[in-house]
Formats: sequence, structure tokens, C-alpha cells
Amino acid sequence: MSDSPSQNPFIATDRGASLRRVAMAWSLRLMTGFIVLVTLAILLHIGWKGAPVLFKTQAPFVNTAFLSKLPSTLHVISDRDGRVIETDNRGAEVLKKQLGPNLREEKTISYSGGGILGPIVGTALLVLVSVSVALLLGVASAIYLSEYARPGKTVELIRLAILNLAGVPSVVFGLFGLGAFVLTAPVLTNSPLERSLLIIPLGFAKLSFQGWDTCVLSGGFTLAFVILPVIITASEQCLAAVPQGFRETSMALGATRWQAIRSAVLPFAMPGILTSSILGIARAAGETAPIMFTAALAFKDKLPWQRDLPALAADASWWAHWEQSVQRLLGLFTESVQALPYHIYTLAARIPNNEYAQRAQYGSVLVFLLLVASLSLCSMLLRRRLRRKYKW
Amino acid sequence: MVIATDIEPQEPPMIEVRDLDFAYGAKLALEDINLKVARHRVTALIGPSGCGKSTLLRCINRMNQRLPGAHIRRGSIRIEGHDIHDPRVSLTLLRQRVGMVFQKSNPFPKSIHDNVAFGLRIAGVSDPVVLDEAVERALRAAALWDELKDRLHQHAHSLSGGQQQRLCIARAVATRPAVLLMDEPCSALDPIATLKIEELLGQLAQEHTVVIVTHNMQQAVRVSHDTAFLHLGRLVEHAPTAQLFDNPQQALTEAYLRGTF
Ligand SMILES: Nc1ncnc2c1ncn2[C@@H]1O[C@H](COP(=O)(O)OP(=O)(O)O)[C@@H](O)[C@H]1O
Ligand SMILES: [Mg+2]
Repeated sequence: MSDSPSQNPFIATDRGASLRRVAMAWSLRLMTGFIVLVTLAILLHIGWKGAPVLFKTQAPFVNTAFLSKLPSTLHVISDRDGRVIETDNRGAEVLKKQLGPNLREEKTISYSGGGILGPIVGTALLVLVSVSVALLLGVASAIYLSEYARPGKTVELIRLAILNLAGVPSVVFGLFGLGAFVLTAPVLTNSPLERSLLIIPLGFAKLSFQGWDTCVLSGGFTLAFVILPVIITASEQCLAAVPQGFRETSMALGATRWQAIRSAVLPFAMPGILTSSILGIARAAGETAPIMFTAALAFKDKLPWQRDLPALAADASWWAHWEQSVQRLLGLFTESVQALPYHIYTLAARIPNNEYAQRAQYGSVLVFLLLVASLSLCSMLLRRRLRRKYKW
Repeated sequence: MVIATDIEPQEPPMIEVRDLDFAYGAKLALEDINLKVARHRVTALIGPSGCGKSTLLRCINRMNQRLPGAHIRRGSIRIEGHDIHDPRVSLTLLRQRVGMVFQKSNPFPKSIHDNVAFGLRIAGVSDPVVLDEAVERALRAAALWDELKDRLHQHAHSLSGGQQQRLCIARAVATRPAVLLMDEPCSALDPIATLKIEELLGQLAQEHTVVIVTHNMQQAVRVSHDTAFLHLGRLVEHAPTAQLFDNPQQALTEAYLRGTF
């Protein structure tokens, strides 16, 4: 029954065409596969090398010391019987005395001992500050640009500038943060520094443009500017996706423009805006250059709230105690911190590479990945809840 | 001899449009409109599409002034004798007095209760007892109470299209506006839902003055007391509905009604 090729006009005569089609599909498939493979390889590698550091075979199955101690110098002491003992500064001294002439070798590896609580806390604080600041500023300016500003050349120019901000190298943001927040931002104080750029007396205190110093706040603001373009652009898109009818209807019901936005636009744009902030979280947590000059130290043996304060006399008033507690709490924002990406960089590039440094590295990287993943998971869950409440 | 007038001098018409010219930028959309609408009447605005029905409707609650370039060239609009373009006028107060229902039913993605309470909340009412009362009254006015009284906290989008549009009517009447503007409220609905809304209009007129834009002339005949015919931005004829349809005074109106345009 089948026609010969000359009779049926639909039978392909050019066999090359179908070959080319198959080749094209396969090359695209292979390239995608390559990407998947590399990503999987990276994740598996980190998991493989990091898991022994982070997890244990016995209960509680998690290396709690790694998560709950501050980084410290690792001492590896071996004796003439072939035993190898890892310990910290204090343990090393005791051990050396005990071993006496039996000591064969002592290696010290900076930053690789203890745990990584300091960097975890630092990164969490930096993410918290930067995402809050960026959401506040970003959503505000997105609302202005898409709801208030008259569409025209100026607004387009501003949008272009914001998009360009996304292309600025992050080390430039670091320098900007150093200049703007660390050295110039205004503080309220009674005793301004000598290098203060400008001092405005306010009666009860002086407003001094002397900067916030290296601290969580400076770093958080700097990071906020790194992620602002993403948040503004995404927020604008989410606002534009809310049906125009909601604005009209609420205004027809007597709402002012701001009331309409607050009650009939913003709640429905929020799930999308939160999704974009997930990207922001991952980015803010991962950046190293912007915090190098503004917030992060390579090493710090205190948590932000463990600030050195003069010891109080035994009969000190509750007020003095209260004041110190507040100062310690403020340390969450006014102290410099360690941060995970910077810690990883230090371990990888600033100390001699050996198995102990590597162990700390892989452990930190795994914790870092898990932290970012769980932060993202949280905002995804939040988004799902909001979505269900405000779907249209 | 005393000449009887239709309108008592001490009671100004609910809506009075005087010598109105309205333009979108350079384009004149309404020209020399004069229109008086009496209390508790349903007035239908009819005319070919693009003739300015929606524009006229949206002038009455000043919804048009949001658009850049849209402005009144000449004339004035009064509600109960008060100029709505007085610079001291608060749009919030005006729109609580002049409610609007749109062509596309657009309930907010919130609960039924929150939809109806929206206007009152905007106006600063937060007492739950007052809100509940107002919601019940508005839903009754929109003939929805019996259907929905047990599911006030369900999502508004769980309602059918016709119910959604009646919910929008309830939302608009919850602030007790004197005037209710409706822009083709049935054009997206099926015949049965349309019928329900048409039935509703007669009841609504007992409390509100209704102005309804419609492209459906049978609907105008069924629901309205008065009809205004617009053509190319001009008001051609305004008369009691029966009179306008049975005995149009203008050749243009007659041509439009006969479909020989
Ligand atoms: N936002 C707008 N900008 C410019 N012109 C408009 C706008 N809205 C309506 N028009 C014009 O005004 C005229 C009247 O429109 P409209 O009032 O919507 O007519 P109808 O509701 O009778 O169909 C039309 O010519 C239309 O093109
Ligand atoms: Mg229209």
C-alpha cells in the first residue's frame, strides 16, 4: 500500500535534514547535561568531604562542637608512641607538659580548630540587616517608580541606573561601603571623633559624620545596596502584575492612592517580592568583597554580644546592669563579626593548605550551603502561605 | 398663574452636569453635556461604543482625573447642588457618596466579608460590630445575604461570576453612597446572572440614585426610568425611557434605535 517516494509528496527526500535535527537536539541535551553534571559534582564533592566534619556516626549525629564553638588555632601534637592528638591552645600546653621529652612534633594551624559559630552568627546578622534594609528601600522605591512617578524619561533613566547598579563589581560596593558607611555615615554622639567630616550640634547630642566603623550595620547596608537592584526590579514586576482593577476599585471606594497600594496592591504583590528576596538572601550571604572592608574580620574570638565592658561593682545599680545589657545587645549591630564566605576564603587562601585546614574548609562550606538553603526554604514556605491567602 | 415645575426649587437634582467639555489630552471626548438626574431614579446611558458613556460616568466620581492629560475644559458637575471640583473637595468623601461598579467584576482576593468591609475600613471604621452590621446590610441589598451568610469568611473567588459581580455591588453600597454608577455591569455575565442583577436594580433605586451604562437596549428598557442617548461625545436626547424608545424626538436617536445608523 505504501507509496513510492516519487508519488507521496510528504516523504522526505533530504535525509541530511533529519540528521541535522537529531544532532542539534543532542548537542543541546549534552550541554544541559554537562551543566547538571558539574553542579552535581560540586555538591557531591562538598557533601562527601564536609559530611564527616559536620556529622557523626553516634548520637547526636551532629558535630555540635563545630557548630557551637568559635574558631581557634588547632594544635596537632604527636608523641613518640605514634599517637596524634588534636587540641586547642590550652590543651596543647597541658599536653606538652605531660608528654615532656616524649613529644615528637607539634603543628599549629591557624583558624582551623574549634568551630564556626562566629562566622555563622555574623553571616546571619549580615543577611538579616541587609535583607531588611534592602526590602524596605527596594519596595519603597519600586512603589514610587511604578505607582507614583509619572512615566517618562526621568523614570526610565532611574530604572536604567538601577539596572546598571546590578553590574557593578562587588569590590566596588565594598569600597563604597567603606567610604560611605564606615567612614562618613552620621552618628549621634557627645564626643565626636577628630576626623569627623561634619558636626551638627543638636542640643542634647551632636550629629557627627564620622562613620559607623567596621560593624554589622555598615556591612549590612553595603550588602543591601548589592542586592537592591534585584529587589527593586522584581518588586516593580510584581506590582505591575497586580490587576489594574484593584487600584481603580479601591480608589472608587474612597481610598487614597497610598491606601489603595497598601491594602489592595502590596499584599498581593508580596509573595512575588519575597521570592525575589530569596535570591537576595543567597547573594547577601555569599558576597565576600562588600563585607571585607565594612564588617568582617578574618578572626575574632568573641561573639557580637560578648563585648568587653568594665566589670561592674558588686553593688552596682540595676540601671548600670541594664545599661550594660543594652550595650551588649546593641553589639549585634555595632560590632564587627566573622562571616562564612570570608572565613572560607581565609581558610582556603590565607593559611598553608593541609588536611586540617581543608577539613575546616569543607565543613564551613557545607554549613554555609545548608544555611542558605534553609533560609531560602523559609521564604519559600512564607511565600506559599501568602500565596494561598492572596491568590487571584 | 403659577407654572408647575418638575423639580422643586429647594431640592437640587441629585446629579447635575452643566456645559461639560471633557478631554483626554488634546482629544475632546465629551462636548457640551447638560444632564440632570433626579433622586431615586435609574438612568441608562446608551450609545454606540466610543461615544463617551464611560467617560461621562467616570466624570461623576472623578475617576478620570487619574489619567495624565485627562481634564475638564469647561463646565461643572454638581452632586446635590455641590460642585465636585471645588479644590477643597476630598476625593475620599466624594467617592463614599458616589459609588461605582465596574464592567469586569473584580473582587479582591480576600474573604467575602473583607471585600464588603473594604470601603468602611478605608474610611477608618474598625469596630467589628459596626462592620458586621454594614456587611449584612450591604449583602442584603445585593440579594446575597441568604446565599452567603454562612460562608462570609470564604475566599471571594470561590463565588460564581454573577455572585462576584453582586459582591462588587455589595462592596460599593456598603458605604451607603447616594449615587451608584455602573459601567456595563452585566456585559460579562450569562443571561441568568444578568437577570438577577436587573431585578436588583429596581430595589437599589429605592435607596440610591443609579446611573447605568449599557450597550443592551432591551436592558435599558427593562431597568431604567430615564434614558440618555450619547453620540460622538454629545448628549443627543434625555427623556423618560418609555418616551425615548417609543417616541424619540431626535432623528439621530430614532436611527440608532432602529439600527439604521
Ligand atoms: N484613557 C483614555 N485616553 C485617551 N482617550 C480615551 C481614554 N479613554 C477613552 N478615550 C476615548 O474617549 C472616547 C470615549 O470613550 P469611552 O467613554 O470609553 O466610550 P464608551 O464607554 O461610550 O464606549 C473614545 O473615543 C475613546 O477612544
Ligand atoms: Mg465603556
